[in-house]
Amino acid sequence: MSDINKLDLIGFAINSTRDVFQTMLSMKLNVIESRLPMKSPNKIVGCVSFAGDVMGNICVHVPTPFARVMTAAMLGMELDEVEDEGEISDVIGEVSNMIGGDLKSRLCDAGFPCQLSIPSITRGNDFVIESKGWMRHERFAFQQEGHLAMVEVFIKTVN
Amino acid sequence: MALKVLAVDDSKTIRKIVAKAFSAYDCVVTEAENGVEGLSVATRDKPDLIVLDITMPVMNGIEMLSKLKGQPELKDIPVIMLTAESGKDNVMQIVKMGVKDYIVKPFKGEQLIERVTKLFTLEPKGTTAVNEFSSPFFSIYDDIQVLTLPEKANRSTVAEIEGNFGMAVKSMATKGLSRFILDAKKTKEINMLIVKLITSIVQACEKNRIHLRFVGSAELETELKGFEETSGFAIHPSVADAKATF
Repeated sequence: MSDINKLDLIGFAINSTRDVFQTMLSMKLNVIESRLPMKSPNKIVGCVSFAGDVMGNICVHVPTPFARVMTAAMLGMELDEVEDEGEISDVIGEVSNMIGGDLKSRLCDAGFPCQLSIPSITRGNDFVIESKGWMRHERFAFQQEGHLAMVEVFIKTVN
Repeated sequence: MALKVLAVDDSKTIRKIVAKAFSAYDCVVTEAENGVEGLSVATRDKPDLIVLDITMPVMNGIEMLSKLKGQPELKDIPVIMLTAESGKDNVMQIVKMGVKDYIVKPFKGEQLIERVTKLFTLEPKGTTAVNEFSSPFFSIYDDIQVLTLPEKANRSTVAEIEGNFGMAVKSMATKGLSRFILDAKKTKEINMLIVKLITSIVQACEKNRIHLRFVGSAELETELKGFEETSGFAIHPSVADAKATF
């Protein structure tokens, strides 16, 4: 088994996120390295977990207005046609699933076999996710036409 | 006959993307949210193709595929797997299970169609019907679509012509034609049904950028001058004369 501390987690996550946004939403991202948690008055967080020789979470934090823009882009709709909150949650969940799936594949290929969960969604105002006990915690923010969003990765080995 | 496609994915977003990818083709897409529902719909509809996600609640795609392969009447349905996981173990597992192809998410609808065309010939929507389009009122003359109105037009005749007109417009688009002659020379009585039919044809031709000419009697000219949509049209004595004005 490789050393989990030597994995380029942030590089994996940035590449996966860029690929998903480019392919599914036709959006180019401007990545900003950030150590600060994203504070947004109203946001949606999509998370997927992986479990096996490594355990971890990958969370995509998106302010609600940007989530609407993403939904319109992914479903080929006009922004004012996006009315269904369930549709927005589903899009954020699917984006998290794709980013998480790619990261999980890279972990498996690096010698850390694991399984992926289905995505979960958290919505609300002015909240921060604090997750403790991980060996690695990486975070980056990205901008897309004035919208700021963030991806966080938490990971630890089981043994 | 339309290709029957079953999209099995717990994400409504992905099901919509799949349905949208096939929307330009003569396909009927049905949906299921998980493997259990997918098996049930597959048993009921016997689809020609299944597009199957892997990670789903209730029953995942791997389990559904294994059950599908265990049923004689379903085992030969081609399956294209959709997976968010591109790891080699995952890919090997899928390939060993006998799927026809797999697509790693993120993906574009065009990629899915490209894979499907390796298995099936996809007919663009409406092509079959347009190719088979025939009507006693419509004919092609020197690459011009001609509509010849009957001597007498009652409600059912006009309804039939209206229905055929939509097909004619599609057929013109398929063949790259843009000229249309409406020949009302034989028509003895220009009643309100005919006038309404003509005004709707004028509007449709404008909308579809089709160049329109009229052939008819002096009576037709008088009638058409009374309506805003048709008042500007000249009436020609024959189809050949109308053709010469394009």
